[in-house]
Amino acid sequence: MNEFSSVAGARAVNRRNSIWRKVLRKFLADRTGVAGLAAVLVYFVAALGVWCGWWGTDWADLGGSKWEAVSAAHWFGTNIIGQDIFSRAIYATSTAFEVGVVVAVLATIIGGVLGAFAGFFAGSWIDELLLWAMNVLDAIPFYLFVAAVAYSLAGSPYAMHVAMITSFWIGTGRLVRGEVIKLRNMEYIEAAYAIGLSRFMIIFRHILPNTSHILLVQASIAFVSAIKAEVILSFLGIGIRDGMSWGLMIEESTKEVLAGFYNNFIAASLLMFGLVMAFNALSDALQDAMDPRKVA
Amino acid sequence: MNAADAPAPLLRVKDLTVEFRTMDGIVRAVDAVSFDIWPNETVGLVGESGCGKTVTGLSLLRLIPSPPGQIINGSIELEGLDLLSLDAGDMEKRRGSEIAMIFQEPMTSLNPVFTIGSQITEVLRRHRQLSQRQARELAASLLAKVSIPDAGRRLDDYPHQLSGGMRQRVMIAMALSCNPKLLVADEPTTALDVTTQAQVLDQMRELQNEFRMAVLLVTHDLGVVAETCQRALVMYCGSIVEAGKTEQLFSSPRHPYTAGLLASIPRIRAERIAELPVIPGRVPDPGNLPAGCRFAGRCSHVQSRCHQERPTLRSVNGNAVACHYPLGADI
Amino acid sequence: MQYVLRKMLTGIPLILGVTLVSFALMVYFGPDMTYQLLGKNPTAEQIIEVRHQLGYDQSFIQRYLAYLTELIRLDFGNSSSGEPVRSLLAKTIPVSLILILPGFLLGHILGVLLALAAAFWRGRWADKLIMAIAVIGMSVSFLIVIIAFQILLCSSDGLNLFPVRGWNVQSLPDYLSYIAVPTLATTFVALGYETRFYRSVFVEEMTRDYVRTARAFGLSSRRIFFRSIFKNCLIPIITRVMFSIPQVAIGGSLLIESYFGIPGIGKATYEAIITGDQPVLKAVVSLTAILFVFVMTLNDILYRAVDPRVSLK
Repeated sequence: MNEFSSVAGARAVNRRNSIWRKVLRKFLADRTGVAGLAAVLVYFVAALGVWCGWWGTDWADLGGSKWEAVSAAHWFGTNIIGQDIFSRAIYATSTAFEVGVVVAVLATIIGGVLGAFAGFFAGSWIDELLLWAMNVLDAIPFYLFVAAVAYSLAGSPYAMHVAMITSFWIGTGRLVRGEVIKLRNMEYIEAAYAIGLSRFMIIFRHILPNTSHILLVQASIAFVSAIKAEVILSFLGIGIRDGMSWGLMIEESTKEVLAGFYNNFIAASLLMFGLVMAFNALSDALQDAMDPRKVA
Repeated sequence: MNAADAPAPLLRVKDLTVEFRTMDGIVRAVDAVSFDIWPNETVGLVGESGCGKTVTGLSLLRLIPSPPGQIINGSIELEGLDLLSLDAGDMEKRRGSEIAMIFQEPMTSLNPVFTIGSQITEVLRRHRQLSQRQARELAASLLAKVSIPDAGRRLDDYPHQLSGGMRQRVMIAMALSCNPKLLVADEPTTALDVTTQAQVLDQMRELQNEFRMAVLLVTHDLGVVAETCQRALVMYCGSIVEAGKTEQLFSSPRHPYTAGLLASIPRIRAERIAELPVIPGRVPDPGNLPAGCRFAGRCSHVQSRCHQERPTLRSVNGNAVACHYPLGADI
Repeated sequence: MQYVLRKMLTGIPLILGVTLVSFALMVYFGPDMTYQLLGKNPTAEQIIEVRHQLGYDQSFIQRYLAYLTELIRLDFGNSSSGEPVRSLLAKTIPVSLILILPGFLLGHILGVLLALAAAFWRGRWADKLIMAIAVIGMSVSFLIVIIAFQILLCSSDGLNLFPVRGWNVQSLPDYLSYIAVPTLATTFVALGYETRFYRSVFVEEMTRDYVRTARAFGLSSRRIFFRSIFKNCLIPIITRVMFSIPQVAIGGSLLIESYFGIPGIGKATYEAIITGDQPVLKAVVSLTAILFVFVMTLNDILYRAVDPRVSLK
């Protein structure tokens, strides 16, 4: 690389840094967003404790009798077979993070890469093929698709994850494709061609980083969608198979609710509502802070 | 009609100050701007993009997007009535009928899903007691006035079916429809090609005389100003730095900025020069303006006083200039 | 008419794609049904015989073509319970439609109305209140809403107004009492999303240049908002409504019907999934794909009616 292009490169990096600093400043000025982030961090610590074995380890133990009320030993009471609802709810928090993070990260990576390829080669057969794939997957209703995947993977614990990732990358893919079509015609991409960079180099080093604002927001949306979908799928019996999740707790609680015992239902619902609400607030604030029209 | 013959100015703007609240703090886009416009006169408001000329134009109709923008000081008197003192409903009625504005983007300035006929008649019927049929006939005659061929049939066209020049003519027809006393035209020809530009400008001039209205032409194009305006105001960083009769302003600019702008116009017949002169430096950040003269950082005649004390408009050999050391002045 | 046909033809690759995906997932890579059909201790000949019947000894392409032929003839055979799939569909689809339709319409209509109010009073307290409620609505799980409404409205701990579950519709009052809770739940969940989406559409449209022009000519903000802006917004509104039809028709009713025990297409699908009832799943997947293409075509035709820039070519 010659001296000129390295100077230009450094300038581009500086510019990018200053934009991120602006985004951060704007985000920190948004009180709802910061509160959302704080709440998400609290949930994260709860999940971290489960992974490290600090708490929630006794979620499957039969430590009490049926439907005990709230007490010092069982903070949220016990369920129909005497398991501690608090431990189960905390353990389910870590499950929610596992599902959310796995799905959000993989769906965003796939959506980003495929979207970038479709956009970069817009008009060619690669783009046509990817668009066709997106339309096909969009045409299949989500719950039906998950069921079909669960069916074909015949009881694999990751059928739900696979199905969610296959569905959730599409939104990201379409947005990134649109953005890349815009970026593709910018001068700095022509400059990158001119100094002889390969197309793959251009896509991964010069185009994808400039869609990071879309990727971040889409990842946060995918996280929330995954957690919400998990609850419904687990309830339907095509979600989480091993372990404990909020969806399984709610499924369990439907029998209890009819008998007038609400602890299990309320614990799972409120914890889930809190995390989803916090994440929605966080995601909204991110979107506001990164709206390019507002940053410029 | 000569400006001096009229007893009173049509529009008198005094100390107009507009601020925008942004992430980086409060930005003063227009700073204590004062000027008059006389009946039937064409005045050019010139400057680089971002100098506050469009904001000034929008302020006259109280169309500043608020938030974040706000007129914080000054008065805008149209025939002696301060527009800033009117309530929102009252102001609404005067837009279009007494003071109208047309914009740069003929592509997007018309509503894409309504026919141009319905858009013109909507304005007509808003300000005048007309039946649908009368309004339609009037709209057709207005389109004919702005030289749109086959005007009656064109009424049923949608904006996307017209060329850029035609769309701008439709805008002008709309502006004329209620016979306003003042038309603010914000870069009305910038988006058009040169031939169309000339036709539209000619047309505007003719119609201005016929309808006896005054025009404030907001533009960055000095050529357009020279051709069409009797007087010109030069804006820099939110303030007027020089004002005067167009001829005099162009032949003997007093402010170094005006001189710089004029020198940077390419001339076809000029002797070959190695490079087109440009004004060095950049416009200062509007959130962080220098204390003294705002042009000081780019001025080739700068002296130490310029950095400390902000010059105000004063009369120098017929022009009004905001400069401590005006060019060619005998001081 | 020619246009409609042409449009339908462009949907063929889509239908092929959907059937290909469903074939691959549910038939080709699906579980082996041989032993389910044979019972205990089959002989080797019996195994070969059944595998041949099921087409397991043929290539992917051959089997996919056979699958397609069945689809084209709309001949899905019998479900594993022995009932013809066609009569199963004819029985369940109308139930789903009358179950889902009220909530679907209410969700979109109320969503548009709330969004109009929020956008019109943008930045004021009404806007903030509506949007805060929308975020809360978006954050509650559909499942939780269903259960909570059931407790509040159907149980003896709550108001006890409507039947807890089931579907025994003989008259209009029956119908209304059975759809009340499902409709409330779907509307509640949809409102959060719809209001936010429609508000962003309206707000974006409010920043357009033509709005400034209309204001510069003295048109009142009410008239600009409810006439000029609204007509422009019809395009995204139509798209949104149209494209949620396939999702709601199958996906939305799946949870509602299986929870409330309503014999609609959603519940039938859910049961088919659990029991691996391939003929039913096949029929549902293909119907969905066809519905999607139909909706796309209808969407284009409606566009044409609203947006003069779109022509039939």
